[in-house]
Amino acid sequence: MKKVGAWFKKQNAYFLVGLVMTGLAVMLGILSFFWTPFSTTAMSAAERFHGPSLRHLFGTDNFGRDIFSRVMQGIGTTVIVSSLIVVISAGAGILIGAITGYFGGILDEIIMRITDAINAFPSILLALVVISILGSGKQNVIFSLGIVFAPSYVRIVRSEFIRLRDADFVCRARLMGVKKLRILFVHILPNIWSVFWVSVTIGFNNAILAESGMSYLGIGVQPPDASLGKMLSDAQGYLGRAPWYALAPGLTIVWIVLGFSLLSEGIRRKEAGKR
Amino acid sequence: MIKIKHLSVAFDGPEVVKDVSFEIGDGEILGVVGESGSGKSVTALTLMGLVAETARVTSGEIYYDDQLLLEAGVPRNTALYREYQGQKMSMVFQEPMTSLNPTMKVGAQVEEVLILHDRQGSSYETKKEAKTPEAKNGLAGWHQRRLEEKERRRARVLGALRGVGLRDVERVYDCYPHQLSGGMRQRVMIAMAVILHPGLIIADEPTTALDVTVQNQIIDLLKKINQEQKNSLLFITHDLNLARRLCDRILVMQDGCIVEEGITEEIFSDPRGDYTKKLISAVPGRTGKKKSAHQKLKEAQGKKGDGKKQELKPLVEVRDLSVSYRENANSLFGKTIKKTVVQNATFDLYEGEILGLVGESGCGKTTLSKAILGLNKMVEGSIVHHSNSPQMVFQDPYSSLNPSKTIGWLLQEPLRAQGILDPSKAMTEKDRVAAAYDMLHKVGLKDKYFTRRPSQLSGGQRQRISIGQALITRPGLVIADEPVSALDVTIQAQILDLIRSLQEELKTAFLFISHDINVIYQVSDRIMVMKDGKILEIGDTEEIFRNPKDPYTKELLR
Repeated sequence: MKKVGAWFKKQNAYFLVGLVMTGLAVMLGILSFFWTPFSTTAMSAAERFHGPSLRHLFGTDNFGRDIFSRVMQGIGTTVIVSSLIVVISAGAGILIGAITGYFGGILDEIIMRITDAINAFPSILLALVVISILGSGKQNVIFSLGIVFAPSYVRIVRSEFIRLRDADFVCRARLMGVKKLRILFVHILPNIWSVFWVSVTIGFNNAILAESGMSYLGIGVQPPDASLGKMLSDAQGYLGRAPWYALAPGLTIVWIVLGFSLLSEGIRRKEAGKR
Repeated sequence: MIKIKHLSVAFDGPEVVKDVSFEIGDGEILGVVGESGSGKSVTALTLMGLVAETARVTSGEIYYDDQLLLEAGVPRNTALYREYQGQKMSMVFQEPMTSLNPTMKVGAQVEEVLILHDRQGSSYETKKEAKTPEAKNGLAGWHQRRLEEKERRRARVLGALRGVGLRDVERVYDCYPHQLSGGMRQRVMIAMAVILHPGLIIADEPTTALDVTVQNQIIDLLKKINQEQKNSLLFITHDLNLARRLCDRILVMQDGCIVEEGITEEIFSDPRGDYTKKLISAVPGRTGKKKSAHQKLKEAQGKKGDGKKQELKPLVEVRDLSVSYRENANSLFGKTIKKTVVQNATFDLYEGEILGLVGESGCGKTTLSKAILGLNKMVEGSIVHHSNSPQMVFQDPYSSLNPSKTIGWLLQEPLRAQGILDPSKAMTEKDRVAAAYDMLHKVGLKDKYFTRRPSQLSGGQRQRISIGQALITRPGLVIADEPVSALDVTIQAQILDLIRSLQEELKTAFLFISHDINVIYQVSDRIMVMKDGKILEIGDTEEIFRNPKDPYTKELLR
């Protein structure tokens, strides 16, 4: 046991295991666009509620659909949706955080109060409000969760920029006559990657859970498209009769989230080792 | 009195103290001199029994008055050490800001030493007194004795505080550390160290964090205490000049070994080891004549012999400059308070000279320099620049280079920025790289550093890159703010040489800021002395050193 622990530390196994877990899930998701063992929509009355077997790896659901195929498709949807959420929120975070952090002043105060206001609501609730205005659907879920998650990135980026804006090397860059935008994004930004990347992976996990939650509530991905959250919500009526129906998407979510957490911890350790 | 025999100490890995043996005699002041990482502090901490738990003593033993304190392979005898710590030996640390507890009153902290360590002191006496007939018995008597005891302790603490030259000790007793200046805190630390009259006081760089004039006072104080109380002093420092002024005997340490040992004056007059020679020559001395840029120009004219009158052109003319900053309440509706840091500064900085600016921390040196660079908005008075894009070199080599870039990128960046600002000066990628390599050689580094990152360089190397970065666009003026203060003595000398030679080659004017008057003497053509935001004196280096007018300058030059 001790040996395994030592190996873990040495090899940065957090990173490796995380990479393998997420890599496997993402590959299955991508594969689902081209091929799945069974059609994700093909129903078969004769094969309703079959338990896991070699033919149906995760069993079948109430319509006799192959759960493994649907999980594959669900991963695809969930990963794409969550990635887009992260891209939107992190992108907004960098832009707003960099500008407010570096320049400070009244603009900073106003934007920080707005992010405080957004933070004051539970995130899912706020997303629900946005969706009730825009209507349900994949794009709107992405957009609304993107907005809801942005403030946390703004805060992180802002605090890093505040820390670095008076650093000696930034002061010297100013003296060299480097333009402000270049200072922001060429001189300062690369120095916050390690902090930022970790928050991105955590944010990705949150996005997966939030998207699953939204689909579970029935306002995310619409049927017949599969999404992990939607599958969970469908499965809850058959928990006693076909537990595998709920377990398959549930454990998949755990798998992806755990993989990503390990990945982010691994990256954090790698960065810490560099310094 | 103290005997250390063949002491070696290791943390995880190689030994940091290797086979160190020395003795400290009764009432002797022994100096341990060495650069950072030479193992001098670890030796002292091991002697004091304060070295970290992870440290292993791999060989040797330590004796205090023939009592074996520590032996290799035997775990530290904590109980025995407690007897000695505080009572028989005590320590003064470098950082007066952090070595006192910020939440406790100063008096209480000094008193704590008495409560913890003074066995023969108060508690013993009260027992004796308890037997005398007048003393009340029971709870009331106990309470009264406690009060008396407390009063006695207080008197002793006040006495000790007075003894280290603090004035108004009653007030100091009830102060919290943040209400005292660095020098006063260091005095309190010394009071804590001497209050029990221990046989040995270990002072680990006690003056390094202090200003020069305060440094002098602390050195005098340590000397006085040594003479009055006849205790031994182990004085650890990186500063040879200080060691020379204070110590009877000096040990020179390098990489964990003692490389030289001897009477102070002998070491200075006749150093044997190569390293000692290097150290002594690296110390900025006041030898060698200095010529100001004016005199040089005159000489040059004299040689040419032509009648044309050449005048040194002022590069920066500062007239009646006052700089203030807003103490920002840092909230939307907070009030701002205006604080004036520099008052009515008037001076010229000429082409191609090095103007030294000397003063203590907080005197406004840096504020003044930033105002000249236009980094400070709240200025009154006028600054006329005849130079283009002045650059700056900072004190801290670790934060002044962008850690995420390579050295090559960093050296090219000023050229790139210049090209963006002024397209006529834009250079091709190839020219830029060539210029960067050229500058890399000029600052004395090899090609291989081009692709490295700042974290892979030492402090001195980083400072070289900083200087190179400042000079690569050939600015008329470079402001160097304490560029060598964070470096070891030998590295310091190299960097000063580099600045001098580059200055002669490129004819760049420097405003060289330092708190160390000896460093200033080494590099400057002219000197400007600042105190409390005012310029006290300005003149040619030789002139100021031979004939200082202001009493403050005299104190600095002591």
